[in-house]
Amino acid sequence: MEKKGKVIMIITIGIMCFLLVMIIFMQFKVVQESEETNIDTLQATELRQELANWKTKYEETKEKYDKTVETLKSYREESSAESKTKQTLEDELQSLERALGKTNVEGEGVIITLSEKKQSELIEDEEIVAINAEDLIYIVNYLKDSGAEAISINGERIINSTYIVDVEDTIKINSRYLRTEKYEIKAIGNSTYLESSIFGKGGYSETLNSSGIKAEIQKSNKVQISKYNGDYEVNYMEEAK
Amino acid sequence: MIFIAILVGCILGAIVGINVPIIPYTYSSYLAIAIIAALDSVFGGITGVLKREFDIKVFISGFFCNSILSILLTYLGNKLDVDIYLAAIVVFVGRMFINLTIIRKYYIDKWSEKLKNLRLKDK
Repeated sequence: MEKKGKVIMIITIGIMCFLLVMIIFMQFKVVQESEETNIDTLQATELRQELANWKTKYEETKEKYDKTVETLKSYREESSAESKTKQTLEDELQSLERALGKTNVEGEGVIITLSEKKQSELIEDEEIVAINAEDLIYIVNYLKDSGAEAISINGERIINSTYIVDVEDTIKINSRYLRTEKYEIKAIGNSTYLESSIFGKGGYSETLNSSGIKAEIQKSNKVQISKYNGDYEVNYMEEAK
Repeated sequence: MIFIAILVGCILGAIVGINVPIIPYTYSSYLAIAIIAALDSVFGGITGVLKREFDIKVFISGFFCNSILSILLTYLGNKLDVDIYLAAIVVFVGRMFINLTIIRKYYIDKWSEKLKNLRLKDK
């Protein structure tokens, strides 16, 4: 009986030793592993400290962010106002440029070709008279009268300061001298009106015809007129006060 | 016989303890306090043997109950946000030192008595 009790005691003590040493070694291992500093192994207080730090940082960053967003918003508002003004200015500039003939334009219109008749084409008392500035001025005036928005002669854009004069054997337009047998006048506007202004009954084309100049017209939906390439020189005038 | 049991228990415990998977760090504080409690019981048991008042039932119950109780107290402390395990460590380690003193004194007394006897014999 006594021996049995002793055996039990020995076994019990053995088991206890086993448990104790096992747990101690387990703890050794845990401690050894946790020596590497990572978030799992940080003490609660350290974690709290860290958390507080991050929170402060976060708040600071958020404040900065909010401020930046605010600034950005104000910038955006300003820039949108600016861009509106800019847009208006640009629109205005564009319309002015168009009015001044500083832009290439296209649209419905007519192309009138003037050329001198050959001898064989002449009839009765007709005789050849060279195309002169006056003919072109008449045509330009008639075209303008019938609502032409843009006119060019042999690619030379007619603007508000354009002059057409005879200089000896040539015709001077926009300080460019033209001397050809064929003049091409392009005009943008209502093609029917434009046609009738020159080629209508008793129109200027009859006058031209009788002086040996052949006038032809071609209607088009896409007449292209290039821009005025010269300068606008202002030497004497200035804005009145 | 009992030493063999202790030795075998220790070796087996070491082998198993090394090969067991690592427990999460959160629970390691519970383990630590359990170890302290168990060690306290062991030293208490040795003191009991020396004082000839050792009782295996008291020893075993102390070994397990103290460990489990200290774990429970630590858990409670965590929940209450009070470091109760510090109090447990103070108590256990304090007692361990007292027990160690008793053990040391016992052996010193024994040793000095032996020396005395030897001198008396020589005379």
